[in-house]
Amino acid sequence: MAQSNPPFMSGVPELLLLRLLNEKEMYGYELVRSIKQATHEAISLGEGVIYPVLHSLERNGSLKSKRKTVSGRTRVYYALTKKGRDRLEKLRSDWSRIQGGVATALGAATNA
Amino acid sequence: MREPDFNALATRLIESGISPRHARRTVNELRDHYDDLVDAAVDNGANSKAARLHAANELGPMDEFVGQMASRRELKTWAFRYPQVAIVVYPIACLAVLPAMPVLVGFAKRSALMRWGASLLAAGLVTAVLLLTMQLSIILG
Repeated sequence: MAQSNPPFMSGVPELLLLRLLNEKEMYGYELVRSIKQATHEAISLGEGVIYPVLHSLERNGSLKSKRKTVSGRTRVYYALTKKGRDRLEKLRSDWSRIQGGVATALGAATNA
Repeated sequence: MREPDFNALATRLIESGISPRHARRTVNELRDHYDDLVDAAVDNGANSKAARLHAANELGPMDEFVGQMASRRELKTWAFRYPQVAIVVYPIACLAVLPAMPVLVGFAKRSALMRWGASLLAAGLVTAVLLLTMQLSIILG
């Protein structure tokens, strides 16, 4: 069964997808494999979850897609746009701030 | 978990407000993803049935998928995004288009209409020739 992740994971799939697509264009299945690999399987999404995120990002202009036929199968490849790169930078900075804040709070709680 | 019913999924997506074109594309992507998962499981030694079950599990519940698609407003058609506007605009649009309907239908069915017109013309010509022949036979005795 696909492992579910806690509710505070909201927004993480978007960040990971943008980060991975910043390196090269990929299709859905390839992206899920890359997320598992990049996070050492710490983050294992229900695999269908990425498509609503991908389509939303495409709709708001952060991604663009194109179809390619590979080994007799039509793949939809996603690539980052300029707007997507800007969005990635913003999310990355937000994430660092939150991560730092949580780490500080947890450290303080441990030392108290 | 059961194998996903992709046709039913497309219907459910459309019912939840996703445009038919987008729903078809989504289902095609998901079906390809499922096929990739099945292939990977078979490559890892699973039999066909076990591979399909594994793929369905990995893909996650379809209810959850439909829920996530439906929760994203930007993926919905404008009528689902602005239902109040749609309630007003659709009837007005229908009334506005009503007078033009014969023309639009005529354009859409132009080939049938042209065939019908041509056969009517041919029938008229034959009738005219017959009437003319009768008239001539009366005149000439």
